Amino acid sequence: MKRNKYLLLGSSLAVFLLLAGAAVEENYFKEWRRIQAAGRGDEGPITVQLRQVVNTNLGVADRCVSCHVSMGPGEQSVRGAAVLVPHKAVVHDPAEYGCTVCHGGQGQATEKADAHGDVHFWPEPMLHKEMSYAGCGTCHVALHVPEQEQMRAATLAFERLDCYACHRLDGKGGTLRPDQGGMEGPDLSRAGMNRYDAEWHAKHEAKAGAAASGAWKTAFQPVSAEDQALLAVFLGTRVAAPKLVAAKSVFLSAGCLGCHKVSGVGGDDGPDLSSAGFKDPGQVSFEHVPGKGEMRNWMAEHFRAPASVVVGSQMPPAPLAEAEIEQLTFFTLSLRRKELRDVYLPKDRIRAAKFREREFAADGQTLFGAFCAGCHGQDGLGRRLPGLVSFPSIANPDFLALAPEALLKATMERGRPGRRMPGWLRDDGLRPEELKTLAAYVRSLAGVTAETDTRPARWVAGDAAQGKRIFESTCSGCHGKQGKGGEGPALNNKVLLESATDTYLVETVSRGRRGTAMAGFLEPSPVRPALARADIESAVAYLRTFEGGK
Amino acid sequence: MTPAVPEKDALREFADNLKAAPRRVLETAFRSGPPTTDRTRSTFVFGNVFLHLHAVRTHRWSLKWSTTMGLGIMSVSAFLITLVTGVLLMFYYKPYPEAAYQSIKDIHFVVPTGRLIRNIHRWAANLMVVAVILHMARAFYTAAYRRPREYNWLIGMGLLVVTLGLSFTGYLLPWDQLAYWAITIGANIAQSPREVTDALGITNYFDPGGLQRLILLGSDQVGAEALIRFYLLHVMLLPLALAALMGVHFWRIRKDGGMVRPADADEQLARQRHEETYPVFTEAPAKTYHLAAIVRGRTANVGRGPENTVPSMPHLFYAELGVMMVTLLACVAMSLVSDAPLKELANPSVPENPAKAPWYFLGLQEMVAFSAFMGGIGIPSVVLIGLGLIPYLDRETEGTGKWFGGPGGWPLVRLSAVFGLCVPILLESFAIRFGWLREWFPNIPQPIVTAINPGTLLTLVYAMYSLWCIKRYGSVRAGALGLFTCFLGGFLVLTIIGTYFRGPNWVFYWSPADWPKH
Repeated sequence: MKRNKYLLLGSSLAVFLLLAGAAVEENYFKEWRRIQAAGRGDEGPITVQLRQVVNTNLGVADRCVSCHVSMGPGEQSVRGAAVLVPHKAVVHDPAEYGCTVCHGGQGQATEKADAHGDVHFWPEPMLHKEMSYAGCGTCHVALHVPEQEQMRAATLAFERLDCYACHRLDGKGGTLRPDQGGMEGPDLSRAGMNRYDAEWHAKHEAKAGAAASGAWKTAFQPVSAEDQALLAVFLGTRVAAPKLVAAKSVFLSAGCLGCHKVSGVGGDDGPDLSSAGFKDPGQVSFEHVPGKGEMRNWMAEHFRAPASVVVGSQMPPAPLAEAEIEQLTFFTLSLRRKELRDVYLPKDRIRAAKFREREFAADGQTLFGAFCAGCHGQDGLGRRLPGLVSFPSIANPDFLALAPEALLKATMERGRPGRRMPGWLRDDGLRPEELKTLAAYVRSLAGVTAETDTRPARWVAGDAAQGKRIFESTCSGCHGKQGKGGEGPALNNKVLLESATDTYLVETVSRGRRGTAMAGFLEPSPVRPALARADIESAVAYLRTFEGGK
Repeated sequence: MTPAVPEKDALREFADNLKAAPRRVLETAFRSGPPTTDRTRSTFVFGNVFLHLHAVRTHRWSLKWSTTMGLGIMSVSAFLITLVTGVLLMFYYKPYPEAAYQSIKDIHFVVPTGRLIRNIHRWAANLMVVAVILHMARAFYTAAYRRPREYNWLIGMGLLVVTLGLSFTGYLLPWDQLAYWAITIGANIAQSPREVTDALGITNYFDPGGLQRLILLGSDQVGAEALIRFYLLHVMLLPLALAALMGVHFWRIRKDGGMVRPADADEQLARQRHEETYPVFTEAPAKTYHLAAIVRGRTANVGRGPENTVPSMPHLFYAELGVMMVTLLACVAMSLVSDAPLKELANPSVPENPAKAPWYFLGLQEMVAFSAFMGGIGIPSVVLIGLGLIPYLDRETEGTGKWFGGPGGWPLVRLSAVFGLCVPILLESFAIRFGWLREWFPNIPQPIVTAINPGTLLTLVYAMYSLWCIKRYGSVRAGALGLFTCFLGGFLVLTIIGTYFRGPNWVFYWSPADWPKH
């Protein structure tokens, strides 16, 4: 009977020891306690206690400041351990905004791995240090960003025109007269957000004219109209996040919006990217991704070879340099827009949501880069990719010389039903004036002028039966039976037949299209005789019969 | 008028009373003084509202470790631990979807000892399920369910069901992915009678499955309504039900004559080395124990002297408290080693694959993979009815109180264990290797699969085997031994397969490392 007594004694002692051990562990061995114990503020040692930044409007309760004490409210002076360094000066004081809004991670956690989100069941790990500016995308949206070629030209213009001499921008420049305190002109880092004086050039000229000596006299030269336009683009996009804006310009050159939506604008072929930055690393496979299992590595590899990372992906690989792929990754990670309460809704979001301002610039090159370049290529010459249908060259000079305005317009507005080309005139697509700009841009791609066509849209009066024979012997090899398409594009398309003029069809067959398999049929080739003009017209008459059948 | 001079020194009396106060508090609390004599030990027990559920004397057989292995007390202890830790958790828990998840995060990260408390709660809950099942097995194998304890066996089954219910309702409360999808499965199982009503084409008129699911969730899907329901069940209704059933269970133990023991328990004890005990009567016995004759039946004390019994205070209480502390020790130790899981915030648009129920239901889920109705409702009902009938079908007396007692004995249990393990392994291997009806005949009507699937076949084979045992040994007890052992074997095999060998889409994998990477 005694053994029950010893059982009770032994187990009670063991429970007591374990609980005592747990108490010691909890009260003395927590990492944040050790860091705070080492911390020294202005008045000596700091109180060791759990610290947090709470902002109910943003929905944060971030305990990050339990370790990163000197980033917390009123404790910038605390030093004593490696992590006890103040946050670099930013507009969004972490003491008010907390940490996770920008950096991601798990704010509620009090242990390093959990807090940084490097744990299995936290879908939102911290953004990599090099990509912290992607965090801006949680609340902000950069507006009117041009595609990267213009962006580069605009950036270079700012440097070339030596604006840095007087103006400070993102921590650079404005050091004209260091002995007298440097900056003469205002800091332009946020010119795009706060707006700037549109009359700046006239005012600069006036001041420079009036000045007898000093910086105004020596440093300012009148700027050409072209450069003024470039500077307008550059200044309009200054939001104190230059890397993010540059990355966005790469995104807008890669044609992603042709298939993907971002904040309600874009194509439907691919998944909506509005929350792509929140993609959960726990929900994707890293099997074919080199490097660490981080989302940025996954994204980068996914841009290089989409189908090897996502089984069955129909996305063409991005023809980009490594540096650009990194920028694209960076931007994609910034697509993490959250709903915000009005107090914290930034101006740019209001402008985008309430005033329907665009995130992309309205020029043709940017529109083409953002919506068309993914399939038609950045130069418009089309793309042929294994496993995907070929995307036609729309910058082909023979095409542009002949294509009637109505054809370009109808194709852009209504797309090609049944093929991958979507119609863009819709609420989540492009606006009529944008399509007009885009059409003009496409027209300018080949550097040829469109031939004027004085004939009516339908004038061919050929023999359709004869045309059928000709079509079947000559055309259907590439264009398929009844023009259903094969190696060459389908011709029985409603939008094509409605908007293509007879002149366009007859002349395209007659002259062919250089750079493609479509030869001019007025000339014989080693494998077939030439067609007479009447034969071609008959073939076109046959094409017209497809319209009635549909 | 001058006051009369007091005769005694009241101030002195005051000081004396103050000095004696602690002693008197103790005296009045325990009424009969320190439990040093047999009589005061007895009054210590029956004079205490909490202890008087015990008999004042306990048979030495009951105190042998091999008699009960402390499993019943272990179950109660685990319940008490979950009760205390659960109340502590309620101070912080908020039963509303996202807030629930945040509050668990807070409990985990910032509430002082919150993580430990939550871990203990979780481990005690799991331990309680294990202890209750083992306790049932102990009661079965020692034939303790026999007359006069039949009804207490039924109460025990009620306790098993409520215990599982408590565990299951607690599963949803963290509102993470694990919880959300496990409850979604649970709700679909509740809806599974539709499998039958659909086949009969009467779902539009009579839909018990849909109603069951609606009652469980309070809505079409797992959401705030379901959470508050599960919360209420978990913290109030089920604990009350459990407490009430436990009260009856304990009271019946006493009224049904204490722990079961073999008829020759006294002789067996006499043959063993006599351990040191307190002398039975330190005062002249007054034979007051004949009062116990009020109790019906062959109870421990009726018509007998108190030989081979010891005072419950302290012997029984040492044992009970010892088991209680061992249970607590196990929970605390496990809690320091392993954290209770908390996955991502529940997300109805990202299904967990595989979504698994709590481990003790994975055996059922394994059968649910073939037929939700049979696996989730049909077979469990058959099992529960079968278990409940055991004491009423086995009216024998041979082997009561002996481990594996009765015709067949240990060799039969051993054989049944092998049989009970092999049949489900073979059936499952076949179904995993060659598929089942649905794979062979994709258009087969569901009622056929509902009727013929590994779960129903298993049940049938076990039933046949049990009948064979009855015939072979000429005893119902032998059939019960065979069936119960098979049931444990099947439960074990199916649970292990469900837990360790099922991956996405409930496909068989040798190890989670082989799971496809999304």
